[in-house]
Amino acid sequence: MNSNVENELRKMVAEIIEVPEEKLSVEADFFNDLNVDSLKAIEIVAAFEKKYRVVIPEKDIPTIRNLGQIVAYTKKLNIQ
Amino acid sequence: MVWDKEKIKSVLPHREPFIFIDEIIEIHGTEKVVAVKEVNRAEDYFKGHFPGNPVMPGVLMIEAMAQASIILFVLDRPEIAAADPDYYLGKVKAEFLAPVYPGDRLIVETNKVKFLDYAAITDVSAKVNDNVVAVANLVFSIQRK
Repeated sequence: MNSNVENELRKMVAEIIEVPEEKLSVEADFFNDLNVDSLKAIEIVAAFEKKYRVVIPEKDIPTIRNLGQIVAYTKKLNIQ
Repeated sequence: MVWDKEKIKSVLPHREPFIFIDEIIEIHGTEKVVAVKEVNRAEDYFKGHFPGNPVMPGVLMIEAMAQASIILFVLDRPEIAAADPDYYLGKVKAEFLAPVYPGDRLIVETNKVKFLDYAAITDVSAKVNDNVVAVANLVFSIQRK
């Protein structure tokens, strides 16, 4: 079962990258599979930071390439 | 005045007639810049926008906001700006709340939302006489040549 955080993040990312939520799997690569460019990427980062009131260090950003990795990142930050 | 036109031209790639920032009046670290555009009746676009009824085009307010945002980015990332990159506006969410006329002093306040080496987001407002005339969220890319 998907967690609430995962569902929230799927909805947030789907709105930014303009794909239906059902097509946004946890494994789909933002850049290779979903055509996310650098501008969409910074929008995702900014939306995440605003929603959870955190700052993602710039060095971490290139390591986050799919929804599953964002969800994992929230666990690292202890976001419930 | 904190920065004059010459200082602005030292960091912006734009030149007349497409510089829409005349001075910088406040710099708050790398978080906020306040710029001024003196809206001059002699500007060429008023001949057509509109004959007998000059109003500053909203797209040019956005351009002023974007140029102020580049200056804020330059302050935040001088090492990136030093390489003379290209700046491309990618996405704009804007509301225009009141017309801007010749003779108005447009105050443009841009605030950092998120800056990376290759992309940036700012929240910007434009005011005339303390009245907000436009607000925008800008997303732009920075591309090394």
